[in-house]
Amino acid sequence: MRDRAGPAAEAVTVRRPEAADFDAVVVGAGPAGSAAALELARAGHSVALVERGPFPGSKNVYGGVVYGRILDELIPDWYERMPVQRWITRRQTMLLSGDRSLTVDFRSQNWGRAPYNGATTYRAEFDSWLAGHARAAGAVLVPSTVATALLRTADGQVVGVRTDRPDGDLTARVVIACDGVNSFLGKQAGLHPDEQAAHTTLGVKETLALPRETIEERFGVTGTDGVDIEILGGTSGVPGGGFLYTNRDTVSVGLVLGLPGLAKAGLRPEEILAELKQHPSVRPLVRGAEVVEYSAHLIPEGGYRSMPRLGGNGLLLAGDSAAMCLAAGIWLEGVNFALGSGMYAGRAAANGLRSGGPAVLGEYRRLLEKSFVLADHKKLRDAPGLVLSERVQHRYPGLVCDLAEGMFTVDNPRPKPGLRRLLRRAARHNGVRMRELARDALTGLRSFG
Amino acid sequence: MADLGDLADPLVVVALRWADARARVDPLTGEVGTDPRGAGPGEADRCALEHGLRIAGATGARCAAVTLAPPPAEEMLRDALACGADEVLRVDVAPEDPRLPDSGAATARALARSIRAELGDPGLLLTGDHSADRGTGATPAFLAAELGCAQALGLVELSLVDGRLAGLRRLDRGRRERLAIPVPAVCSVEPAGVRLRRAGLPGTLRAREAVIPAIPAIPVASGQTGAEPPSVRAARPYRPRAKELPAPQGDDPRLRLLRLTGAHEEREPPRVVVTEDPAEAADELLAFLRDRGYLP
Ligand SMILES: Cc1cc2nc3c(=O)[nH]c(=O)nc-3n(C[C@H](O)[C@H](O)[C@H](O)COP(=O)(O)OP(=O)(O)OC[C@H]3O[C@@H](n4cnc5c(N)ncnc54)[C@H](O)[C@@H]3O)c2cc1C
Repeated sequence: MRDRAGPAAEAVTVRRPEAADFDAVVVGAGPAGSAAALELARAGHSVALVERGPFPGSKNVYGGVVYGRILDELIPDWYERMPVQRWITRRQTMLLSGDRSLTVDFRSQNWGRAPYNGATTYRAEFDSWLAGHARAAGAVLVPSTVATALLRTADGQVVGVRTDRPDGDLTARVVIACDGVNSFLGKQAGLHPDEQAAHTTLGVKETLALPRETIEERFGVTGTDGVDIEILGGTSGVPGGGFLYTNRDTVSVGLVLGLPGLAKAGLRPEEILAELKQHPSVRPLVRGAEVVEYSAHLIPEGGYRSMPRLGGNGLLLAGDSAAMCLAAGIWLEGVNFALGSGMYAGRAAANGLRSGGPAVLGEYRRLLEKSFVLADHKKLRDAPGLVLSERVQHRYPGLVCDLAEGMFTVDNPRPKPGLRRLLRRAARHNGVRMRELARDALTGLRSFG
Repeated sequence: MADLGDLADPLVVVALRWADARARVDPLTGEVGTDPRGAGPGEADRCALEHGLRIAGATGARCAAVTLAPPPAEEMLRDALACGADEVLRVDVAPEDPRLPDSGAATARALARSIRAELGDPGLLLTGDHSADRGTGATPAFLAAELGCAQALGLVELSLVDGRLAGLRRLDRGRRERLAIPVPAVCSVEPAGVRLRRAGLPGTLRAREAVIPAIPAIPVASGQTGAEPPSVRAARPYRPRAKELPAPQGDDPRLRLLRLTGAHEEREPPRVVVTEDPAEAADELLAFLRDRGYLP
């Protein structure tokens, strides 16, 4: 006998309840869900926050950096209370080609003091902390409970969720699905486009234990300062990228791999990660560390062009379930976009509940468009395609490393070659046409500029 | 022999041990690192709760879940309420005495006094057979001594037969012992036979809002808190003592090495038992177990 049900394939049709159990049900106590529940509870609405894990964050996987500026709106002085591992004061972008690498290294001590910029934090701690704020505001957290289906009336209005508990129907006037990348609820509502796999990457991560002093020596930081390294290349030819972040006594090293490319390459993600850890620029940083955790999770990386409809008929989607994660090469920001979209979903729902009308979706979209969430996604709508393109993935890292090697190799008695000549040579050597280079530069400029 | 239902205000108490089964121990300092978020009752304690709920349900008794643990253990008691416990009680561990629950005798004393004072005399007190964090299993015996009642420990089955408590216990060499258990009694159960029910949603929602009563552990006189907790006197890497082996004889160093590994020793080769008749196969296995002394 099964005592935990998996998600049902279809929504359940019910009669419209006379009185709902809660004003709102939020499914998933990740950053999006807790932000939505907090916003609703603060507005005085009754809200249930349903989480399948035994505690918030127990099921969640990410790389490690949270950019918390959006929390200013939700939890003033968050940076004094958030469970932080290290504040990021050093950001590097590393291009790998073969056994060569070129790194852009930026450091700012401004990021190491209030109001700070980004921090590494463990999800079990961060998500529990955030959900704690929602609970303190009055939300009812219901852990170890899976929402298995939407409850809908015959005319399609969403009136709650069915859970895997006995007598498990939970009715509400609005449902916010923050159930992550696989969003079974969003799929049940028919909101997700079909070719999801093409826009989804697999993130794999190892957490490696090292003594604190060793981390500080190897990464050149002290105290609570930390480092964020984003890596392009080093994925054994599979489109994607890598990352390396410092925590207090551990470092997180991981990869983000495009699913179609991974399937085509027939490689195992842990093998690619083992290979990355052997790269001459990475090995000295992780040498001798003990693996304390290996985890894997999907990431919706398609951005603006692959977003589902954001809801309708009493249902809203936020966070990864609405493909809000921003993955644009030098940026991998999902948590702040989840926080933002969750908060605006909560706000729109609260306003809708107050006015008694169903016009929630329109307001939600307006709030998102006015904020960084959809503004950034819209601006960077071509970035995921560019970053995962064959040229950026395979040819440009080689081109850049050839260029750097040419610049810095002292080839006496020959005179130093000019930059233009080096560029032409490197482009030819890596199969890049100057016209393509110019076009990609323009797309890049339009997106990132 | 009295039945549970004959008691004036029948009470079944389930004592739950709150433990982090995945605690980390620093090999150099011996320091134990626990995470309250991952802590909870072990599987045996969960079975004890299920037995408690069933027996209370069948006899009309009150069912209470009790723990001696710090505030994060509230979540465990909420789960017990959601599953159907009528009441719960948390006996607080004073911050200056965080290791109190590690002493079976002191835990039993603190629990017994608090249960009596707050809930009344239990007709049946249930626990898991061992705590999930490598306990000795002695606490239930100490509890029986404190409460002055019968004890039936390490049960694999516990049921009501004609209103009376009946237990089944494993003995050595595959034997079983059936027990008729008088009340009041302390019973500890192995993680076997039953599975804690899945709490329904309405009960879960009620439990999320419930106030969990907590009382400070009734102080016990100094010298009564049981054995002192072990303390780390020297911190060194773990180096097990070398085992002395007689030097192997012979001139050839390769053969001497091989002899050390035991590779060339005579031993009965393993056999794959394939018979058409299941009874024959069973006989074969039983003969093997008898031969090795597992069966009489
Ligand atoms: C390897 C990797 C590295 C990453 N690195 C970073 C990074 O460094 N910085 C960053 O900002 N972002 C990063 N991200 C992205 C980030 O993790 C996500 O964008 C973010 O977690 C999305 O938050 P969310 O609340 O929408 O979803 P999630 O965090 O996935 O939360 C969803 C929650 O819903 C629960 N749930 C799901 N289904 C149900 C159900 N049916 N019933 C009840 N509960 C349910 C889950 O248990 C979970 O708690 C990374 C992702 C990965 C995989």
